Amino acid sequence: MNTVTKNEKETIQFGKKFAKTLKGGEVVLLIGDLGAGKTTFVKGAAKGFGIKKNITSPTFVLLKVYKVESSKLKVKELIHIDTYRGLGLADLENIGALEYFGREDTVCFVEWGLGLEKYLKNAKIRIYKIEIKNLDIDKRQITF
Amino acid sequence: MKILAIETSCDETAASVVENSKGAFEILSNAISSQEKVHAKYGGIVPEVAARLHVEKILPIIESALKTAKCNWKKIDYIAVTAGPGLVSSLMIGVETAKALAYAFNKPLLKVNHIEGHLISALTTYHSPLTFPAVALVVSGGHTQIILVKDYLKYKLIGETRDDAAGEAFDKAAKILGLGYPGGPAISREADKVKGKSSKLKVKLPRPMIKSNDFDMSFSGLKTAVLYAWRDTKKKSDEARAEMAREFQQAVIDVLISKTIKAAKEYNAKTLILGGGVAANSALRDALTDSAKKESLELLIPDIKLTGDNAAMIGMAAYYHIKNKNFTEPFNLRADPQWELV
Repeated sequence: MNTVTKNEKETIQFGKKFAKTLKGGEVVLLIGDLGAGKTTFVKGAAKGFGIKKNITSPTFVLLKVYKVESSKLKVKELIHIDTYRGLGLADLENIGALEYFGREDTVCFVEWGLGLEKYLKNAKIRIYKIEIKNLDIDKRQITF
Repeated sequence: MKILAIETSCDETAASVVENSKGAFEILSNAISSQEKVHAKYGGIVPEVAARLHVEKILPIIESALKTAKCNWKKIDYIAVTAGPGLVSSLMIGVETAKALAYAFNKPLLKVNHIEGHLISALTTYHSPLTFPAVALVVSGGHTQIILVKDYLKYKLIGETRDDAAGEAFDKAAKILGLGYPGGPAISREADKVKGKSSKLKVKLPRPMIKSNDFDMSFSGLKTAVLYAWRDTKKKSDEARAEMAREFQQAVIDVLISKTIKAAKEYNAKTLILGGGVAANSALRDALTDSAKKESLELLIPDIKLTGDNAAMIGMAAYYHIKNKNFTEPFNLRADPQWELV
């Protein structure tokens, strides 16, 4: 499916709506160039889980964990991972990222995560691919 | 009092012996083994490689720090280590080494927050007590925070980036402009190539959130703006690239300074403190020096050698925790990759 968001606010709104369809245990692979709005999308997703904490770029620390406060949700943690620097499986294992994949009480968002697709499929983990394309400085096409 | 400090939060393996007598710091040694060259080919730090190199380097670096300081274990009073934030696999090497040494030589152990180290790194060159309140700008690859320092060890977060850290924005803008990694020095070198103050090219980038009423910042949109401005630059000449780098650097500096000065006024600060890897940027240092002078604020700026990750700053921060007896039981200490100072 395909949608076009007109600005950052709409991208966040879309991320929020998308997050509400997640049940727990999914890994969302975010595909898009520098400046496409991958982190912006995750900001929206975090809102969907009622996370109040501000989502910042995980590029430097590679992995960030956000607690989901709501007791009504099965998902307890949102994991935000960035493999921008071409991190491989060994690296992700090294930073403890692999432990979070496929767990029912987590949802994982992996920026630049296309390289993980095969591994996740083999491990029978539910994956979503979200592709974000810049149409102009504000407009984004989101394919999912 | 002599403190042996260890820092391995990211890609520098570092150890230092810091002495404090009567409140004045002396850095007896500051040994650093940088992995920058190894990681440069990947365009950034690779955790698995980093952890392996830390394991190889940590003991020789500690030995070297002791040797340079003309010190042996008998003369060391305390051991301090960075426990977070950072990469868990990197932090662990330093933390576990520090724990083992604390046991083996029976020394009191202190955990230090990496950001607190950056915040305190300017205190070496400064021998009189600080005048509070102070406002600190800590700006690095992973963090961009404005912190109110009410007293020693008393911090309050008053502003931070809502998306990318300033140092990360430098890395990514450098990548867009094809300038390589690490982006900070690359952009700065490129910006310096612009001769004179006016340019024919007139690139104009936004200053995100500069007028917002809080002390938060945003650099993600600026990165996107560089992406488009560069894409739309028809003639990608060396001159155009240098001009873009300079405008980008100026945009980041304008936002950082405007927010920091605004915070200083709001909280009636007497002192400004700069710290973190981006504090090595000479244009930022100059601009903050000018602004501090204009506002009659005392400015503490770290020695360039102490702007990047190092263990001396960890030893200095530990000194204040020793005074407060914030010791850690080695057995209970764990690396905490997401440890927030405030």
